[in-house]
Amino acid sequence: MTNKATYNICLIFLAAMLMGCPKPPLKGDPSEADAITQPEETPQENPRAIASLQLTDQGRRLVEERQPDRAIRVLEQAVSLHPTNGQNYYYLAEAWLLKGFADQAKEFNHLAEIHLKDDNQWIIRVAEQADRIAELEK
Amino acid sequence: MDYLFCMLKKILKYSLFIIILVGVVLAIYGWHLFGQVEQRFSARRWSIPSTVYSDTNLLYPGQHIRLSLLSEKLSNLGYHQVNRLPSQKGEIRMGTQALDIFLNDLKTPWTDRAGFLAQISFSQDRIGMIRRIDNGEPIPILELEPEEIMQFFGQERERRQLISIEQVPEHQIQAILAAEDHRFFQHHGVDWRGILRAMLTNLRHGTIRQGGSTITQQLAKNYFLTPERTFTRKLKELILALIIEFRYNKREILEIYLNEIYLGQKGSVAISGIGEASYFYFGKPVKKLTLSEAAVMAGLIKAPNHYSPYRDVARCRSRRDAVLNAMHRWEWISQTQLEDALIQPIKAVGFIVAEKKAPYFIDYLSQQLNTLYRPEDLASLGLSIYTTLDTQVQMAAEEALAKGLTRLEKSKPALQRTVPEEKLQGAIIVMQPKTGHILALVGGRDYSVSQFNRVTQARRQPGSAFKPMVYLTSLEQFTPTTLLSNDPKSYTVNGKQWEPQNFETVTEYTVSLQDALKKSYNLATVDLAMKTGLDRIVDLAAKFNFSTPIKPYPSLALGAFEVIPLELARAYCVFAAEGVQPYPLSLKGVVDENDRILEHQHLKIERLIPPAEAFIMTSMLQGVVKEGTARSLQRRGVTWPVAGKTGTTNDFRDAWFAGYTPDILALVWVGFDNGDSIKATGAAAALPIWADLMKAIPQYRSEIEFKAPQGVERILVCPVTGRLAVGGCPDPVEIYFLTGRTPDGKCTLHAKGGIAGKIIEGVKGLINDE
Repeated sequence: MTNKATYNICLIFLAAMLMGCPKPPLKGDPSEADAITQPEETPQENPRAIASLQLTDQGRRLVEERQPDRAIRVLEQAVSLHPTNGQNYYYLAEAWLLKGFADQAKEFNHLAEIHLKDDNQWIIRVAEQADRIAELEK
Repeated sequence: MDYLFCMLKKILKYSLFIIILVGVVLAIYGWHLFGQVEQRFSARRWSIPSTVYSDTNLLYPGQHIRLSLLSEKLSNLGYHQVNRLPSQKGEIRMGTQALDIFLNDLKTPWTDRAGFLAQISFSQDRIGMIRRIDNGEPIPILELEPEEIMQFFGQERERRQLISIEQVPEHQIQAILAAEDHRFFQHHGVDWRGILRAMLTNLRHGTIRQGGSTITQQLAKNYFLTPERTFTRKLKELILALIIEFRYNKREILEIYLNEIYLGQKGSVAISGIGEASYFYFGKPVKKLTLSEAAVMAGLIKAPNHYSPYRDVARCRSRRDAVLNAMHRWEWISQTQLEDALIQPIKAVGFIVAEKKAPYFIDYLSQQLNTLYRPEDLASLGLSIYTTLDTQVQMAAEEALAKGLTRLEKSKPALQRTVPEEKLQGAIIVMQPKTGHILALVGGRDYSVSQFNRVTQARRQPGSAFKPMVYLTSLEQFTPTTLLSNDPKSYTVNGKQWEPQNFETVTEYTVSLQDALKKSYNLATVDLAMKTGLDRIVDLAAKFNFSTPIKPYPSLALGAFEVIPLELARAYCVFAAEGVQPYPLSLKGVVDENDRILEHQHLKIERLIPPAEAFIMTSMLQGVVKEGTARSLQRRGVTWPVAGKTGTTNDFRDAWFAGYTPDILALVWVGFDNGDSIKATGAAAALPIWADLMKAIPQYRSEIEFKAPQGVERILVCPVTGRLAVGGCPDPVEIYFLTGRTPDGKCTLHAKGGIAGKIIEGVKGLINDE
């Protein structure tokens, strides 16, 4: 008898022994939902992300200084380094708002929403931004 | 007597008449030349070619790095190696553990940073730390200046950097006057004493040994006249010199002259003006030239290529010494200064005549520039054109393509062609999927053989590389575990029967949607396309901005129509960028010579599909790389998260691989221009090139996972039935689904049988094993 045959016999007995064991976690099971949460990548693990934080901050300052073109340029660099940081998209939306382009602001606001969905504070800001974009569109 | 007097009177009268006539003619001619001088000097004096720059490069701690690529980059930026701590901008000291670098100034329309001394330490294949050497302060991110890629030359093919007279040190002016015209500040354009002296010298030697031209005459000659030696030309030169001196002051004339003079040759391009020459010979601005270097520059004017330090250092030195001695003779430098300068070695900085860089990218860029500027303006206005090109990625792409095609030809001698125009071809485009920035573009194997850009101009069938569009369209109706028929079927197209086939004979007659994509099954994909609706797929393709006609035939599912490779790459960006499509950008901005921004091109995006659908596609395309037709990527060292798809067309005419990470996307095509078979699949021909490219640009590798957006759920399913897994399901798998579109029931096959099912499976195993 080969190893595989032995394995199959063991499997049969193991299956019999497992009768009555709890079922594997399924859809809707909260404990399972926790177990399979997408691992969040943190800046500590990603040098590109750490480097991008400086650019994000620089972009924010340029937005505050009402220099949208320079801000967009810096934030583009930040996005290229850390495309999953929603703050970059938030500030890009702000920069496009400053330039008066609601359609582009809306697209970046949407991306910010996708990436900041788990951050309670930021998602409020993103929603407020969406309102301002809607105002501009009117 | 009266007769003689009368004759004399007549002669005088006629002479006076002739003199007046000549005077009037000269006055009219002088007035005409004055107009010419006014017109020429008040208009744009020089044509300055516009310069195209790459994007800046970012360095940061923890970044994967290839030292050889970094060294090459720094060399291309003009940095040169020294054996001590760098003390001037542009110097580097490369060690095994660290690089000391005196950064050049960084000046772009968006950044203005003065150069400083920094140290970049390395830890294995990564950057360890970056810090300022002066105060030890760590630097989180360091930006290297953009690299010059090319210049838009006019017919003159001249390089010139304009300088003002205020930037030129006094010893440089004195050196030039000593070499060319030491009485410049005394004469009025024409140095009669100089002319007389030159005539006497020439008569004494019986040949032309000395010229009497002043700097103003030289300027008149260069600016207005042709080089032939005739009396009328010389006369015109004298008149022009007088007019120039009448109209402009000495410093103005000197400034024009310093910017005008020809000072050497870099390949086919003339080095004109002292501003450009100062960088060409000594790698520094003119204001920083030492006395010895200034004397070299002055000595060059007489015969730039003859006295060039690049041609003959001894001859250059002898000429420099003559200039220095002349300066001393006119008491412009002291004995000590003379002696110090005479012992200085002549160290030219060196230059490389660069080959045409990224030629296909430049052609693509030029098309866009030509919609904004006339070619003559590009050749004369001195614009700075900033692009998205990353020269390191471009080099890596060119190298990967060249090696990949050669390797393929070696492994399959039938692909070898002797005529260069008929050789196996390939193309690569590398983009940032979130921003649309084109980092590299290789439109063919050899630009000198063929300028046809296979990324932007070719129309090729995408084959299976188009299948993701079919699967995306189907997501509204089906799920990744929906079962599809993989049975041979016949379809009627325009009254004819069409029977698609799988690439290989398979025994799976029913296959899940995600497995069909993973293994690139043709029959199951056509089945899916027919169930989804061909018109809907065509509509989606139009939405994805494919510009080529796509007809609703069943063969559409297998990519049996033509696409432009750039548009296919752009389509894949949507999957990598949460459903938004970026506009492909090559031009970032244009700045005029006074640093005024003329043109801004920002990233522009368009939302095409929900992020959740984009993620489901990415998840399925990751399956292609993990277990499907692109699984050889792992064997080739690509072990980080990648999503991608291979493509092969009928008769192996085209081989494709499109792959991406959250940071970068590259598409590779391989084929013959005439449609000959390459006898290899996308996995065999295009994929290895993609792998080589990605391994060569570690700086773009973050190795992060694709992030799941809202609207998707990861569910444990039975791999056999595709339904929710139950306890008895063998090796259940976790699969992403759109929220609300998850499998609607538990696995009945394994649940119904329960333990019996397991026993049956076990017995089956035993029988098979025996």
